[in-house]
Amino acid sequence: MTKSNPAENGPLNAMEESTLDGAALDPKVLETIGRALKAHYDDLVQAPLPEKFLHLLARLEEEEREQSWGKPDASD
Amino acid sequence: MPPTSFRDELVAEISNLRAFAISLSGSVSLADDLVQETLLRAWSKSDKFQPGTSLRAWLFTILRNIYYSNYRKRAREVQDSDGAYARRLIVSGDQESHLDLEDFRKALARLPTEQREVLILVGANGLSYEEAATICDVEIGTIKSRLSRARSKLVELLALDNSREPPAEHQKIKQAS
Repeated sequence: MTKSNPAENGPLNAMEESTLDGAALDPKVLETIGRALKAHYDDLVQAPLPEKFLHLLARLEEEEREQSWGKPDASD
Repeated sequence: MPPTSFRDELVAEISNLRAFAISLSGSVSLADDLVQETLLRAWSKSDKFQPGTSLRAWLFTILRNIYYSNYRKRAREVQDSDGAYARRLIVSGDQESHLDLEDFRKALARLPTEQREVLILVGANGLSYEEAATICDVEIGTIKSRLSRARSKLVELLALDNSREPPAEHQKIKQAS
């Protein structure tokens, strides 16, 4: 049941907001979607990462270290 | 040279970056290329990052730009989305969810990319409208309307009961109480 639905308190503002903010949707439906979205996204975030990204960053760091060592010193 | 802590901060964001990339492209293999390119660019432009600001938002901006300039067409061609990537990644269903996740993913995949990305930025990542607007390079009002249209479209695609009546008997969708 609808208890504290802001759309029913201030018709004008609420109508304007509702088209912008999704407030026209039942709060329960919004909550259901919100939960599903989080569950979906959390699964993606928690999926095991390929090692290649860590290797890439390690390689980049290594390359830069070598470059900064290999640079001829200006004061030389 | 970026300080070592910058690398650590990057590492901490990879999972999220990849999740965003999969959500955008609908393809795990494209997403991995996209993340790789984003990391390379972020590394080479690390001096452009302003400490104290959100690294995640900065990385999302880079990834998004790369996606729209180089990957969007490929994403349409590849399409291992439509739940295929999900089945590969998802080990177990979420008991907490009131929606069949597989159905939800299919519906999400059918949204226009502009709407889907706003859902992911605001709804899943909890970014503010302002941050999302900066990342997508649009006005805040545009973010709000895309979000609204995305939600309405999802409700439609999932045939969710939005009648505000006491929920009718339904096989799959239990309304949150």
